[in-house]
Amino acid sequence: MGLLRYTLWRLAQSIPVLIGIITITFFLANQIPGDPVEIMLGPSPAQEQVEAIQARYGLDRPAHERYLTYLAGVASGDLGQSIYYDRPVLDMILLRLPVTLYLTVSAFMFAIVTAIPLGVLSAKRRNKPADHVSRIVSLIGVSTPSFWIGLMLIIVFAFHLGWFPARGLPLPWADPADIRGAETQLEVIRTSLHHLAMPMVALGTLQMAQITRIERSSMVESLQGEYVKLARAYGVPESKIVRKHAFQVAQLPVITIIGLGLSTALGGAVLTETVFEIQGMGRLIITAINNQDYELIMGTTFMFGVAFVIGVIITDIAYAYIDPRVAYGDE
Amino acid sequence: MATQTDPRTDDGAAADDESGPGEIEARVGLRYTLKQVKRDTTARIGIYTVGFVTLVALLAAIDYYLFDYAVAETVWYNPVQDPDQVQRLLPPVGMENQYGPGVIEHPMGTDHRGRDILGRLFYGTRIAITVGFMATGIGLVGGTLIGAVSGYYGGWIDDVLQRVTETIYAIPFLVLVIAFMTAFGRDLTFAMIGVGITSIPVFNRLIRSRVVSIREEDYIEAARAAGVKDRNIILRHIIPNSFAPVLVQATLQIGVSILIVAGLSFLGFGAQPPTPSWGQMLSASRNYMLPAPTFSLFPGIAILITVIGFNILGDGLQDALDPRINN
Amino acid sequence: MSEPLLSVENLKTQFFTEDGTVRAVDGISFDVYEGEIVGLVGESGAGKSVATSSLLRLVDSPGEIVGGEITFKGETIFGLEEGTSGEPRPRDDMLSEEEMRKQIRGREIAIIFQDPMESLNPVFTVGGQLREFIEINRGLSEEEARAEAIDMLREVGIPAPESRYDEYPHQFSGGMRQRVLIAMALACQPDLIIADEPTTALDVTVEGQILEMVTELQEKYDTSFIWVTHDMSVVAEICDRVNVMYLGEIIEHAEVDDLFYDTKHPYTQALLDSMPRPDRTVEELDPIKGVMPEAIDPPSGCRFHSRCPHAREVCREVHPEPRDLSDEGEPMHSAACVMYDAFDVGYEGSRPIETEATGGFSAGLTETEGDE
Repeated sequence: MGLLRYTLWRLAQSIPVLIGIITITFFLANQIPGDPVEIMLGPSPAQEQVEAIQARYGLDRPAHERYLTYLAGVASGDLGQSIYYDRPVLDMILLRLPVTLYLTVSAFMFAIVTAIPLGVLSAKRRNKPADHVSRIVSLIGVSTPSFWIGLMLIIVFAFHLGWFPARGLPLPWADPADIRGAETQLEVIRTSLHHLAMPMVALGTLQMAQITRIERSSMVESLQGEYVKLARAYGVPESKIVRKHAFQVAQLPVITIIGLGLSTALGGAVLTETVFEIQGMGRLIITAINNQDYELIMGTTFMFGVAFVIGVIITDIAYAYIDPRVAYGDE
Repeated sequence: MATQTDPRTDDGAAADDESGPGEIEARVGLRYTLKQVKRDTTARIGIYTVGFVTLVALLAAIDYYLFDYAVAETVWYNPVQDPDQVQRLLPPVGMENQYGPGVIEHPMGTDHRGRDILGRLFYGTRIAITVGFMATGIGLVGGTLIGAVSGYYGGWIDDVLQRVTETIYAIPFLVLVIAFMTAFGRDLTFAMIGVGITSIPVFNRLIRSRVVSIREEDYIEAARAAGVKDRNIILRHIIPNSFAPVLVQATLQIGVSILIVAGLSFLGFGAQPPTPSWGQMLSASRNYMLPAPTFSLFPGIAILITVIGFNILGDGLQDALDPRINN
Repeated sequence: MSEPLLSVENLKTQFFTEDGTVRAVDGISFDVYEGEIVGLVGESGAGKSVATSSLLRLVDSPGEIVGGEITFKGETIFGLEEGTSGEPRPRDDMLSEEEMRKQIRGREIAIIFQDPMESLNPVFTVGGQLREFIEINRGLSEEEARAEAIDMLREVGIPAPESRYDEYPHQFSGGMRQRVLIAMALACQPDLIIADEPTTALDVTVEGQILEMVTELQEKYDTSFIWVTHDMSVVAEICDRVNVMYLGEIIEHAEVDDLFYDTKHPYTQALLDSMPRPDRTVEELDPIKGVMPEAIDPPSGCRFHSRCPHAREVCREVHPEPRDLSDEGEPMHSAACVMYDAFDVGYEGSRPIETEATGGFSAGLTETEGDE
């Protein structure tokens, strides 16, 4: 079928999923008790004020009408207006999204860069001390709550040792004028990385541990494959066997797990941002829910859904790239 | 003319005990599995840990529901009441902080309202275990039903059901549960249901792929040809044959659920105070990280130990039920 | 007769498991000369694959070659001597692991595995894998190796080799994949090819094509073969000489015609009798009674005695080594059975015993009175 066609097909498939996300979120958001207008205006507001607000945010129209209007809006890029912040939802999202992406992608990179070599090493030295240590570490990694890791990191490295800052996450491309104590862009970058270190580790540990485990078991299985035995029988050096013959095949389940972990990662971002007081999408969504800000809730959830779908598609494409049977399914 | 009895039996009903053609897929019995698990030391640690925690949870539940913490009060401290003589934020015994020295009466110290931490940890198991088991149960039942129906019938039923579960999966579970709970109530029950719903896709995927591969096996065809109802085929043949990986997944999923619930409690969406829950204790401890860091330590360790127990057990079960990997 | 290409003497390979020591290969000896096809026949579990892996020193733990000598073109692939503490240790002239890898594996001795689907790496192109092996074992550059690879694919009968070079294993049929494996073996131009049941996974028509092709190629390149199989009809078709293995031992060795027409060992005879043939009906089929015992705990004396229709007391007590039973001037034909005079252990006078073949142990499903 070819890689390109496959990509397009997956993209097309994701539209119904996105619509589904909006629908579910709309349904849930509608169920939330309480009145956003009341929150904004306080108890016993004047009637004209209530009606004005309702008209402005379209709250006086019936549910299904609002649903359809919203869908139409999304299709044209309009995500509505946030009641709480009194700004377009899209604005709020664009304001907060970069930080969350910065954090999540960094944690992701951290996880992959540490886990894959660790898993391969563990498989090569199977049942030797290095393997046992790695397995214990990854077992702890998948069993520890990420927010607790964050708390512990803050206590030890921020409060006790003072090596890292405890809150906030400035972006590396921020203006030096906005960042306290930074005069050049280089210093901004440095500060940013300084703030990134702990939340990145806290968020990425779970993923890292999961990937290490699957990488190890996948490599172990791959190293026992017939094709590896054949390569050995033909005199291929052992290092090349591990690096090329066993490794590539072994990545298939790993990629699947990474893709499945995306949802976990996004959820983890919510917790990490709370612990480290980072102004990202995670905090935004909690605020939205707590204040019954319908459009903001739906907008942010929708964005999470989009991020997830994109992640899944990238995962699928990576998988298809490695495994020729998917894209070139013939026989 | 003498007729010979044909020793060949045409026992279609024996399909249950036959292995499918090709690879060996015997239905591994519970007793055999347990025997395998007992041989594995790490798995045994897992069982003991899980057993211990579950026992504690059970005791806590009994005390809570039947005696309203009376037992706790007599033997230790009431976990939900502020004590008369308030000793706030004490460190564990043997250490000292700005609030005073640790005392043996409070081996792990006290929380921000002077309540004993050890006792609250103890009672926190009730929440963790209850939600863990219940949520996984919901996910298992829901996911199995959807996966089995979806995989067996295929076609548009399959497509629709799979798209629906994908959508559930696409929303970050934390967000989903939070929204769910905000909509319906910040109650433990809704936490369970919410987390349960988010674990449906996991079991769905597992069962569905099993069903799809077993569906084409000869003994299923035989059963169908013999007129066995679809419902019975699914219940009696397909589901029991998927027992092994589901059990492993369920064990691991309990651990996952406990972590999710801890996160929810941390954000304020779990058991409401004063009911003790580990996540919520961690949330409270945040305000005192500098002066009383040990407050943040113990609830996390409780979570860690419990989840490790389930993970080790799950791994052990997997090794027992799938010997291929280590041989 | 010139020196043999490969000489195996008293090879012993064992697996050390929790349940005990498995004596998978327990003292086998055979030769392979230039330009011939030697068969290695036996049921599953007889130790054939372990034997061939041992030749390349590719036995995985918990297995280990524990004794014997393997010589190939004058080089010692395996040999032990007594060390300082009395413990056996590898001989000085034994090839090192590095030497095995660079000189022997793929270059002088190549192997063809049984399952072509599993043996080819699914994520690399067929041509790429073939080219890699050629590069390594013949020291060619990438372009040269590619050209060779395409030539070889054509040689084994794969149409349009240039385009199929870039395709993946799953795009080939079973027979085609096996041809690729054969191409791999031949392209490296080894002196000896070990074919480990290469046609077992293929259906009969395809098998026939492959066998025909192999015979042609063998004549053309004059490569020697060790052909491992459990199928006697394949043996009849292509082998020059045959070794029959049972439970880790070679119990009969002969040239192919002699093996079929002058069968000496009862096990070989039983194998031949159990073979389905177009000129025999199902009732005339005579499966070998019983199952091959585990190699951990072989029967005492002659290992086949528990299933042998001619077993006697002495068979339980004496463990026969193969002895040449041929006449003067005739090609060697050895068998390990005390029935023959050459063994002189009093077989005639010994009392016959009940075995699975004589209905002693368990009453079989098919009980016929008298001989068939």
